[in-house]
Amino acid sequence: MSDDDVARLLRSDAPLVVIEAPAGCGKTYQGAGYAKDCATAEQRGRLLVLAHTHAACGVFRERTRGTGSKVEIKTVASLAVEIASAYHIPLELPHQVEAWARMGGEGGFDAVAQKCANFLTRHRMIACALARRYPVVICDEHQDCTADQHAILMALHASGVKLRVFTDPLQRIYTGKTSKEAKTDAARWEALKAQGAHAVLDFPHRWRTGSLELGKWVLEARAALLNGQPVVIPAKRPVGLNVIVANNQAKARAQLQLDNRKPVDHVMMGGDQILVLTASNEMADAITAFTNRRVGVWEGHTRDALTALVDVLQSKNGDAEAVAGALVAFVGGVGVGFSMSTHGTRLMEEIKDGCCKPTKGKPACIQDMAKAILAEPNHVGASKALKLLKDFIEQKQNGFDTVKIDYRAEFGEAVRLGAFPTPEDGLGEMMRRRAHFRRALPDRVVSTIHKAKGLECRNAMLIPCDSGFGNTYYSRCRLYVALSRASDTLTLVVPSSGGSPLLKIE
Amino acid sequence: MNVILGGGDMGKTTILDALALLFSPTNGTTVSETDYWQRDTDQEFVIEATVSLPESAGIENQRRMAYPWHWDDKQAVLPTGADGEEVEVGAPVYVIRVRGTTDLEPSWEVVQPDGVIDHLSVGVRRQIGLVRLSSDERNDRDLRLVYGSALDRLLADQGFRARIGKEMAKVPLDKELGQESRKALTSLSDKMGKNRLPTGLTLGLTSGQGPSIGSLIGLLAQHQGKDIPLSSWGAGTRRMAALEVASTTAGNASPTTIDEIERGLEPYRLRKLIGILESTKGQVFLTTHSAVAIACVGQQGHLWYLDGKGNIGHLPAAKIEVQQRRDPETFLAKLAVVGEGKTEVGLLNFLLGKAFNGNPLDEGVRICDGQGSSAVLDLLETFAEANLECAGLVDDEGEKLGRWKALKATMGDRLLQWPKVATEGFIITAIPDEKLEELVENDEEGLTGYRMRSLAERLGIEAKDWSSIKAALTAKQKSLKALIIEAATGATDGASDKDKKAWKKHAQNWFKRDGGGEELAAKMVSLGAWPKVKDTILPLINAILAAVDRSSITGLPT
Repeated sequence: MSDDDVARLLRSDAPLVVIEAPAGCGKTYQGAGYAKDCATAEQRGRLLVLAHTHAACGVFRERTRGTGSKVEIKTVASLAVEIASAYHIPLELPHQVEAWARMGGEGGFDAVAQKCANFLTRHRMIACALARRYPVVICDEHQDCTADQHAILMALHASGVKLRVFTDPLQRIYTGKTSKEAKTDAARWEALKAQGAHAVLDFPHRWRTGSLELGKWVLEARAALLNGQPVVIPAKRPVGLNVIVANNQAKARAQLQLDNRKPVDHVMMGGDQILVLTASNEMADAITAFTNRRVGVWEGHTRDALTALVDVLQSKNGDAEAVAGALVAFVGGVGVGFSMSTHGTRLMEEIKDGCCKPTKGKPACIQDMAKAILAEPNHVGASKALKLLKDFIEQKQNGFDTVKIDYRAEFGEAVRLGAFPTPEDGLGEMMRRRAHFRRALPDRVVSTIHKAKGLECRNAMLIPCDSGFGNTYYSRCRLYVALSRASDTLTLVVPSSGGSPLLKIE
Repeated sequence: MNVILGGGDMGKTTILDALALLFSPTNGTTVSETDYWQRDTDQEFVIEATVSLPESAGIENQRRMAYPWHWDDKQAVLPTGADGEEVEVGAPVYVIRVRGTTDLEPSWEVVQPDGVIDHLSVGVRRQIGLVRLSSDERNDRDLRLVYGSALDRLLADQGFRARIGKEMAKVPLDKELGQESRKALTSLSDKMGKNRLPTGLTLGLTSGQGPSIGSLIGLLAQHQGKDIPLSSWGAGTRRMAALEVASTTAGNASPTTIDEIERGLEPYRLRKLIGILESTKGQVFLTTHSAVAIACVGQQGHLWYLDGKGNIGHLPAAKIEVQQRRDPETFLAKLAVVGEGKTEVGLLNFLLGKAFNGNPLDEGVRICDGQGSSAVLDLLETFAEANLECAGLVDDEGEKLGRWKALKATMGDRLLQWPKVATEGFIITAIPDEKLEELVENDEEGLTGYRMRSLAERLGIEAKDWSSIKAALTAKQKSLKALIIEAATGATDGASDKDKKAWKKHAQNWFKRDGGGEELAAKMVSLGAWPKVKDTILPLINAILAAVDRSSITGLPT
């Protein structure tokens, strides 16, 4: 279907329109254009864009600038939190639903969505009131909706909301990993298609300024992955597609040591921009070490270590030992060179002894941190101790010169926690700020595929492109997300043997 | 349609003022210290309402989503229900309020179901579009193009003011200036030019701090070939016209408040207007002092009574309908004192006249005829259920004992039910035997003869002189007092079937007639019965006095 046909379909009176949108085929362009038209049309209410990540919200916000209050953009999770907050009493949730959900990790937000979906289905008047506020709702990346989030959408739709759904079943990397879950989602997707008008975007817009040949190859790759076939890398490579054969010879897990390092280095360091993609957080850390930290880590919007720290600070307020323990674990999580064995044991000793021993050098620095925690055994003390640590690292104090912080934003946020009345308040406020200020992608950065979803760049490298990508639906999705980020060049680093069954290199 | 009734200075208009402030279509509304309870501005005041709004009000479209509450037919509650079970779709309601802060600023708010407070935007209030007809003589707001007025919402043309402003600016005013004045303008222009100030001066309309152009625009209507502002018509016409403007607006469901609905309207127009209001979509709140207005409130209307203590209560039509039609003034008093019949009303007139040393109505105490025991029971119960103050004086007819007992428990001294007798029985019993002949005498109204006859008939004798009556009484071993009580209450015990009707009518020649209660009361005092009955009666009198903040009495002032 041509772009114009899709645009017309979106603007039609159909109550439900489902657009299948492969990466880079102008989904955001279509969605934002439609949103802008709705905003300028003389109609009541606002248009609501529901995305899944704050990054995607940011992109939509940028593309719909100037529409003022006529377009509201938020994540499905935050909509659920908002509704659940308004009715937290009958839902038997605490007053601060967001903080409660965050502390429960993924499960917390799932529980909120589940309660919210159930509540909206039972109390039509609330869904109807929302439908009056949001007569039109665009759902971006519907494939990332959990069953409950989908139920929330459908409750709104049943109350009169005109629903526009963009989805790419092959970018489904956030919901369940098992094939059973994938099957359930696929059935849901087919039902949704049958219920409304359906169209497919099929022009690779992202590659128009780069390598259109690469774009077309990515679309072919997508078709193959959807059909359960391997992706063919033809002998005559499309312009921009490179394959480097290099083996990881590191003995330990989560380390990178290549036998054919030169061409990889050339791609990583040679150009003016590179987005290095890899499967896991551990491998991302290994890659940044591999490049001697010249390629930094893209932190995205998740803050696992910080959330764990806040959890302890909140529950063990006043317990200096617990605070110190959490602090050591946190620094270990966001960087290297600071662990229980290098610094932690001494820190814990100082806390236990009440910092009574006269010391100098590295132990003195650790004692200063311990004093801060002992004076205020809570998030304020922890924050002060982290600030001291930051200074020691910057000043390259003896014993701290080997400490490297990879997750600098996360570390910085932990230092700022002390300024808030409670650690949960701080975490919540910083989450909100993060949601509204989108950081630009650095020129040279390594990211997990999950965190890179929704990002686009000129040059990307997928490393290692090995048997970790097995023949499962989940791996097909991950591979497709990785292949579809870059518009100019894509470099695949493959092992000489035992590569991914999803790739057929000619 | 809600008709708010009650005595003067009880706060009827205050309720309308509170609604007006809550729905105020501008943020410029100010509150003054006299709006605060006892002028204590350190204590905030809150006017809160639970409202069901049409979609056009746009409350969902505020900056932050306003979430609805559930309406359980009495109040806003949180939506609940067991998992999985779908709850019936009810009209969503919103809790809105205006708070008078300690800084004397009104703050409009929406109360969310989680207790979080959000601002209630002026846009929503304007869309709700309260139509307010105050008793202010010059009030014609809804006939002018003021922001949020009925006319503004009827025309619903946002750009109109700007276009008019542009047109007005084009009018070449200086052409109308005289020669000299124009010269003065030119020389000012020159002088300003020399001082490097703006030049090229002309005259035109400029907007200033004063009224907006909109407020200068109002409805005109033809009168004898001339356009006359509707605001120059009579008060009644102005008010009816404003209501017409409001009700013509598409999809209008605006609430309306009308103070003193009878103002400027003849009874026939008043009846018509009430008929129209009863059938409008939006909610109407009105006050009235007009018995005509109360009498013509039909089934669609609700009467609300504001008592002397400031309690407001709903009076269900079915229970008070009779009283509403027959004696609407019952509902216009500060305190309604209901007597069971003419005797009780007369007795109360006499006693309260003495106790108040004047007409009790001057103090807002209205003595009403409840017309029979069961009607009075209904009426008093209705007041009591609505938690409203009233007083009553009734016979004990030995019926509905449970209901009377419950009522007595609620009303206390404000209800006097004679112990096991009728009024006449209780008072006549207290009159000394030697004074009974004086009790019977009423030559002014020519009733003595009738009364003697009723006694004779009951004894079965022809002669109606005292000696014959007394002889017959002796023969029957019956006291004169007992016979008089039977005649005065129209008792029919011992009457033959054909006599029953006549015997019942006997009472009308005694005290069950206009003025009869007063006669009985006056004789009660003059014939020396008062000392015996006062302990029974005074608690009622004192309860009535207390209800209107008068001090109690220990005896009747002479």
